[in-house]
Amino acid sequence: MTGRKLISTGIASALIVLAGSPLPATATRGQTAHFARALRATDTAYLHRIKRPGSGLIEEGTAHGNLPGTMHADLYLGGTFTATFTIYLHGGTITGNGKAAPHGTGIYESFAGTLTVTGGSGIYKNASGRAGLYGTFNRRTYALVVQTTGALSY
Amino acid sequence: MRRIRAARLALVLALLAASMFALASPAPGEQSASLQATLTPEHLGQSTTIGFSFQITAPHGEVPAPLTDVEVRYPVDLQFALSELGLAHCTAITLESFGVPGCPPNSLMGYGTVTAEVALGPTIIPETAQVTILRTANEGEHVGLLIYAEAHTPVTTEVVMPALVLSANPPYGGGLSMKVPLLTVLPEGRPISIVKFRSTLGPQHINYYEYAKGHRIKFQPKGVPLPETCPHAGFRFAATFTFLDGTTTTTYATVPCPRAARHPR
Repeated sequence: MTGRKLISTGIASALIVLAGSPLPATATRGQTAHFARALRATDTAYLHRIKRPGSGLIEEGTAHGNLPGTMHADLYLGGTFTATFTIYLHGGTITGNGKAAPHGTGIYESFAGTLTVTGGSGIYKNASGRAGLYGTFNRRTYALVVQTTGALSY
Repeated sequence: MRRIRAARLALVLALLAASMFALASPAPGEQSASLQATLTPEHLGQSTTIGFSFQITAPHGEVPAPLTDVEVRYPVDLQFALSELGLAHCTAITLESFGVPGCPPNSLMGYGTVTAEVALGPTIIPETAQVTILRTANEGEHVGLLIYAEAHTPVTTEVVMPALVLSANPPYGGGLSMKVPLLTVLPEGRPISIVKFRSTLGPQHINYYEYAKGHRIKFQPKGVPLPETCPHAGFRFAATFTFLDGTTTTTYATVPCPRAARHPR
């Protein structure tokens, strides 16, 4: 459930990190030089329910921080929260997935887990990375707040 | 953890008198089981109360072998985290000490009944207990539940059965797994056998409370929401039963799509 939002936020954060610290360039003859970048960042996303088709929950919202953008997440909120996400940023998109365990009581269910960046498009087509995933899921409104802290390279 | 509080003495003595020659247990036949499930109301996109019940029978009217494990799997389309059920936790110790009234109202998740049978010589004695399902702390990544059964006749008994919501392979989204304690009415006697169980998981007959601006406000929690589209084959449930004699049986149930929504997705 919350996992998707978390994922989006994490991705945004990771992207931010990447933008901040270019790594040595790698290029071969005939190819455009590709500068690998690595970022370490913390980012937060605020998602809201869009649709609930079948077994999933689709949420969208905005990611704030070093890599601001729009996030789309497909969540499954079973005993473990799982999600796939796409973050739309200037210059491309970042995609990935996340998994988090819910805990706590009350309307706001907190969760913690990990986010994995698996790819992207545009300047982020080689994106990869892992981040910690934390957040809360509002069981009444389905609003999701996701915070991610981790490293991203692209 | 299993917490069992069994057998108030007076009733045990009464049963003992009725069974002085009856400690030999009947040889159990092979058990069969049936499962039923309901969704009330069944309106797509809206909150529902899940009802499930099972019945266990043995051939020739015998008492079935004692049940030791049950797992009731529910459709992948139903996600408990999308409900407001179980906003508070209760503990087994609290239940054993104070019963359901000792638990936070916001930990209630469902009600039902369980019927058990015990063979005392040629006599089969049934006992029905009221069941309350409450939320407790998670165990690792698994949602924790407590199933509290309280009976008054013929034997006064209180039993706390821990349960977990486990993951399951599609088309199931998870499974409610519970260990059934072996309760004996008589020392060295055969454990009782559960033959019927029915319960709800949802807001039906449940009220929660929250505080707003210093006032305690009663509200009905949101149940598990049905998806906006119905699964192709309806909402499929399954249950696997394991018995003390080592046998296992699995049975299935389907809640059909609402008549107005029978369009495969």
